[in-house]
Amino acid sequence: MNRNSIPSRQTSVTSRQVGRGLACLTLLLSLCEGAICQIQSEAQSPVPGAANHVTHVLGFEGARHNATGDLKIQGDAVQFQRDGSPTAQVNISSIQDIFVEDEDKQVGGTAMTLGKTAAPYGGGRVVSLFAHKKYDFLTVEYLDNSGGFHGAIFQLNKGQGQAFKKDLVAHGAHISSPDDRATTQSTPEVKHENK
Amino acid sequence: MKTNRETSVAATNATFGLHAFHRPNRQRAALAALVLLLGALQLQLFVSPALAESSTVGKRGGAQPWSVQVDRVDPGDVGLEPSFGAAIYENLLEELANTEHFKRLFRSGDRNAHDVPSLLILKTTVQKYTPGSETRRAVTTVNGATKLNVRIQLVTREGHVVLEKVVDGNVRFFGDNLRATHNLAHNAAVTLKRSALPEQADLVHEQETGKMSK
Repeated sequence: MNRNSIPSRQTSVTSRQVGRGLACLTLLLSLCEGAICQIQSEAQSPVPGAANHVTHVLGFEGARHNATGDLKIQGDAVQFQRDGSPTAQVNISSIQDIFVEDEDKQVGGTAMTLGKTAAPYGGGRVVSLFAHKKYDFLTVEYLDNSGGFHGAIFQLNKGQGQAFKKDLVAHGAHISSPDDRATTQSTPEVKHENK
Repeated sequence: MKTNRETSVAATNATFGLHAFHRPNRQRAALAALVLLLGALQLQLFVSPALAESSTVGKRGGAQPWSVQVDRVDPGDVGLEPSFGAAIYENLLEELANTEHFKRLFRSGDRNAHDVPSLLILKTTVQKYTPGSETRRAVTTVNGATKLNVRIQLVTREGHVVLEKVVDGNVRFFGDNLRATHNLAHNAAVTLKRSALPEQADLVHEQETGKMSK
């Protein structure tokens, strides 16, 4: 009698755990899907001259790290404007070089990372397999008024980087080597050594 | 007959009885409070200037008389992506500013650095670079690390190498690939802060003796 009752309790506990795990995984997947859909809806074909919604990673004078805002060409200057904060701008003629790279990134930010870490049975890893997206990284090297060198990095949606670079070049931005280093693609796990 | 214990209890009661306790001890407590107050005042008067003095001495003694101009990152021939070069450069400037170890910080090419008398140039050369993948890290945990290994040199205007170190910067688990540049810059700044730089006068003397021997 007792022997029968214990396994049934264990089964119910196990099934409850599995159910909980599945629920957690489903929630994460739905979050992930939502994030991807949102990003895809944002990634529209870039219109030349229009403002690009970008993330300023670092280096642009007067703008905060990892701030999102609009990057656009206004007259003879590149402007980065974040909602409710003053515009940071750089003269196009002071640009020394521009590079565009594409890189794979996980979507969802810190909340998603925490969720993935907390998910049971390695569910977070499964989510990570699908929760990534390619971005363009635009690197703009320019000189400030006193001749100091700056390197600014912006994260744009895929395809917008090249278009923006073309716009900048059309407006008079200087690039040192248009063919060699224009588009570099990251090749994961290739070890380089300088001996 | 009273035992010794009883006698002592009675004596205690007589001395520390409620009334006996209150009257003289109020005065004692007031006196003790006054003494404590005076002690605290004295401590405040003598210790705070001493502390202030030691902190200023620490600042004067710890801070180097040098200013630094951060040079552009030399990517070497390791196929470093331009964004990584720019990120290392910018992060180095930020981390060095945070340490407050140097008098002034200049960007590469800054014209204001021309007139600065005690200037060192920070040269950064990338020696090894292993591009990683954020997705691979997230899925496997043990694979996909981004690794950077650079040589940093502090050089005088005349080309005399004052300091040379090798610094690493990796991202193994969480964070995007560019985080490796932040870690690298932080490590470099800590290394420079811990390193003792020679006094400017010593360096001039060394250079002069070097010229004389030649």
